[in-house]
Amino acid sequence: MRPTVEEQLHGTCRILGTVVAPCVADPLARTILDNLIANLRMLAEAQPKVAGFLRADNAATLHLLVSLCPALPPELVSRIAAAHAAPPTDIDDPAALDGHNGLLRGLLAEAVVCPDLSLAMRAAVERFMIERASRVPMRYVPTVAPSAPSSART
Amino acid sequence: MTNAALPDTAQDVAGRVSTGLHQLMQHAMPSARDIRFSGLTRSAGGLSRENWSLDASWTDADGHHAHRLMLMRDAAGTLLKTERTCEFAILKALEPSAVAAPKVHWMDPDGRFLGAPAVVMERVAGHCDYMVLNGDRPLAERLGLARAFLDLLVDIQAVDWQAQGLGDTLGLPAGMPSRHELTRWETEYRRVQLEPHPELDYILAGLARTAPAARAIVLVHGDFKPGNALVEGNRITAKLDWETAHLGDPLEDLGWITNPVRRREHQIAGHWERAQIVEAYARLTGHAVSEAELTWWNLFSCWKLAVIQLTAVSEFVAGRYDRVFQTPSWLFRPMLTMMEGLR
Repeated sequence: MRPTVEEQLHGTCRILGTVVAPCVADPLARTILDNLIANLRMLAEAQPKVAGFLRADNAATLHLLVSLCPALPPELVSRIAAAHAAPPTDIDDPAALDGHNGLLRGLLAEAVVCPDLSLAMRAAVERFMIERASRVPMRYVPTVAPSAPSSART
Repeated sequence: MTNAALPDTAQDVAGRVSTGLHQLMQHAMPSARDIRFSGLTRSAGGLSRENWSLDASWTDADGHHAHRLMLMRDAAGTLLKTERTCEFAILKALEPSAVAAPKVHWMDPDGRFLGAPAVVMERVAGHCDYMVLNGDRPLAERLGLARAFLDLLVDIQAVDWQAQGLGDTLGLPAGMPSRHELTRWETEYRRVQLEPHPELDYILAGLARTAPAARAIVLVHGDFKPGNALVEGNRITAKLDWETAHLGDPLEDLGWITNPVRRREHQIAGHWERAQIVEAYARLTGHAVSEAELTWWNLFSCWKLAVIQLTAVSEFVAGRYDRVFQTPSWLFRPMLTMMEGLR
């Protein structure tokens, strides 16, 4: 389908940046507009990667959860087992992928604070978290406010 | 569509601020007449509050008065829920101290005049540049300012908060300041959390296991950075944004400025880095700094920053905040690296 989602997002950024932004004189509105344009640019790059990221993350999170089970309380282990035994998520359904990701990350949030994790388990948890953070497709895009006039502050 | 359905224009908002400020000043100074404003402008900065600058004049029994003012009003969507009453009390307490801070004039603690809680203070001369330590100035000037910022931090810690009655206003930390702050920010984390964040829970558990005791209770600014100060020439004319100030551990502000993820704001590569800052701080205060304890506060600074970003996410999703933030995954690796220093 043309224009694709990416083409529309990139085109919107171009129009906002070249047509709308030069007409925005108010400094606050301009700062907000710059932030929105930067975020739309980030989304244009990130959006095609989200489904693939979630598929890989769900698999890696489940693998990590299973490896932590020997140190976890039985009740949590049973919920992890239920998640493991659940029918596969429809990989063409972004909402289902995201919902399953939320479920698995909720289980992981409980698992990683269990006091009985071994040093090797903690090391595995930290490796997983660092690796995941490096692959997250949607990232904050900082924008700098325009310089303040002398004798005033921003 | 009726006019009532139209969104407020910037002029509408400015008009309400002007009217509200007039009422606030009239309430605070019943004898004042001919209260006039000029140049009322909302600045682009201020992620947590609306910052309005203006010139005001009025006449009373003492004659004619003209002041350059800043009005800080709580925004509809904010990254920090803070108390104007505390900020007002702190600024009043700082007036007789060595700390450069704006003179505060009036407060609208419940928003009855301005629609939201607000404080009005003197607009101090100077320029706000959050990258002033790594900008275009010669190295010697930047080093001089870096040392002046540390002197200012030490001056804040030297404020006699007991004599100024700040213990009653701000409240003393319940137990260890480190645990007190962790509990406070965990509460905020749970309030704004929209989805599970195993990384933040894991780091929080590590912080809780290793929380250090404090050698003293001092006034803590809570967001000490060049971006919250005014500089004129080579002099810091005012430290601003006291809304997160509280009583706590002396290492809290030091942990904020030696936080590795914000080194470009606070440090000068090769000249004013963590080791030099800590050595200078120890010399100025006479207190040695524990590397493990400072690392704990570095990690806490990052974790708190992550929670503030999650607040922005929550407020954006709720339709109350006009800037887009994401989950702060960029902080996870540095935080996990810092955790190694606590083991």
